Amino acid sequence: MLDYALTLAVVTLIYVLLAFALDLQYGFTGMINFGVAGFFGAGAYTSALLTMRAGWPAPFAFAAAMVVCGAIAWPLGKIALRLRDDYLAIVTLGFSEIIRLVLVQEQWLTNGVQGIPGVPRLWPTWTTAHSELFLLGMLCVANVAVVLFLRHLTHSPYGRLIQAIRDDEVAVKALGKNPARFKTQVLVIGGAITGLAGAFFAHYMTYIVPDQFVPLITFYVWMAVIMGGVARLSGSVAGAALLVLFLEGSRFLRGVLPWVSDDAMASVQIGAVGLVLILFMRWRPEGLFGRAREGSR
Amino acid sequence: MTFADIVNLTLNGLISGMLVALPALAVSLVYGLARFPNAATGDVVSTGGYAGLFAYTASGSLLAAGAGAAAIGALVGLASYYLAFRAILRRSVITSLLTSIGVGFVIRALLGVMFGHQPRTFDMPITRAARWHGVMLNPTDGQLVLVTLAVLAIVFTLLYGTSMGRKMRALADDADLARVSGIGVERSMVTMWALTGAVCGIAGMMVGVRTVVSPDAGWDTLLPAFAAAVVGGLGNPLGAVVGAILLGVLQEWSTPLVGFVYKIALAYVVMLVVLLIRPQGLFNRVQGVR
Repeated sequence: MLDYALTLAVVTLIYVLLAFALDLQYGFTGMINFGVAGFFGAGAYTSALLTMRAGWPAPFAFAAAMVVCGAIAWPLGKIALRLRDDYLAIVTLGFSEIIRLVLVQEQWLTNGVQGIPGVPRLWPTWTTAHSELFLLGMLCVANVAVVLFLRHLTHSPYGRLIQAIRDDEVAVKALGKNPARFKTQVLVIGGAITGLAGAFFAHYMTYIVPDQFVPLITFYVWMAVIMGGVARLSGSVAGAALLVLFLEGSRFLRGVLPWVSDDAMASVQIGAVGLVLILFMRWRPEGLFGRAREGSR
Repeated sequence: MTFADIVNLTLNGLISGMLVALPALAVSLVYGLARFPNAATGDVVSTGGYAGLFAYTASGSLLAAGAGAAAIGALVGLASYYLAFRAILRRSVITSLLTSIGVGFVIRALLGVMFGHQPRTFDMPITRAARWHGVMLNPTDGQLVLVTLAVLAIVFTLLYGTSMGRKMRALADDADLARVSGIGVERSMVTMWALTGAVCGIAGMMVGVRTVVSPDAGWDTLLPAFAAAVVGGLGNPLGAVVGAILLGVLQEWSTPLVGFVYKIALAYVVMLVVLLIRPQGLFNRVQGVR
């Protein structure tokens, strides 16, 4: 039971990190990033490979995961941000699929579809229970640090500027600011936070395969942000909690209803994600706890 | 590599490009009128696969399969318009795009619950490929190309030869100007959603004949269709078709060099290069921000 609570806490906090990153990009800046799973996977593989193949200590590997994910976000922004919003969506979606293909294909590095077993815990000499607790603690620290950072960022002049870009990009241009530059920076910051979440994921699961980073994961995070509340950090926390409740709930339901096959349950899950997206975008685009926004959205 | 190999690769590229051409055309048509890249396109393609499969099993004729797939595809297109897209017609592209993701997931879930995830195949008679100096052509592929050409001919006749098509193109070109000229948005929208649904349905039948029918089959056509539509210039129907064929051929030519898995990646890299050099797409004029 305690193990289960620990797992739930870790999974929720990882989704909270992902939701923070997406909320910064979508909620505050109005950018459509459909590549969350790609950044998440890149972070996970970077940290896992650096600790296992190169023998890096975990803190450096985590930092490297953030740097790598921030760095791959940069050229994407350069290409897509000169264009309309929807191009970024198409480009990031394709980008995340390419990352997955690379993970599948470059077997010399990633071991292909078999994945990488035995990713070390954060404190390998400790017992499993202790090292998991330690990871949970570090995850809490990371979440608090990211919250403080994002709070500071969004309440600063910088934060007002990116929200102005979201609300009226032309007006921002008229003020002599270059929106593309700020959007690229936000994409990079969000990418780094997503990479950090990926590193935690790899060292918690201790086993990663390319199939863990399918586009569905991206839309789980979207569901969390849209349900919880757009452009409000507490909303991301609530949304991630609701998401894990939903994922665990459907697993629980599957246990109670033995005549429902795994496949059917997976379909129902996808359908529920789809319905949430449709209904929230139609009736409550700002989410349950988000700020209602005047003007068009 | 001999000359015949190159010809074979080119032929294969043309055929797989043709398969992507129809969904890409649908993406472009939706973009022209409703102004968002429709991420549910792939899942309407999957639906067409099932409809075609059942019509084929019942009748044994590919023509009937195509008709069935087109009819069901059109129905799904209309349903997605009336149930989801109509209510958010005037909202931002973000809203429409996320709604289309949702619609796609719901369609995929319904297919999964109704028919399961086991891939199914068309029970086609085995045919011998026609050979000519080492150049091979499978008769089934030849038929598929003919079907695509026929569908393309019908769609472009509709677009360029009828008054409804003219209205749709006027709306795509400048929605406000079209509206003040007295063109009804609703009727054009309904026609467009039915038409693109039918086109996707037929594409699903063809994907099913060439590969498998499964709830996830359509997703694999979505990304190439997006890439083709962007390369050709979003909102430009002819550009989407040419883009699809271009990408199909480039992908096949690159297979000996980069391998099988990176085919989709190649389409995306080409798309990125096009976006860098000619952001409006290969065949679009430069236009103001809408």
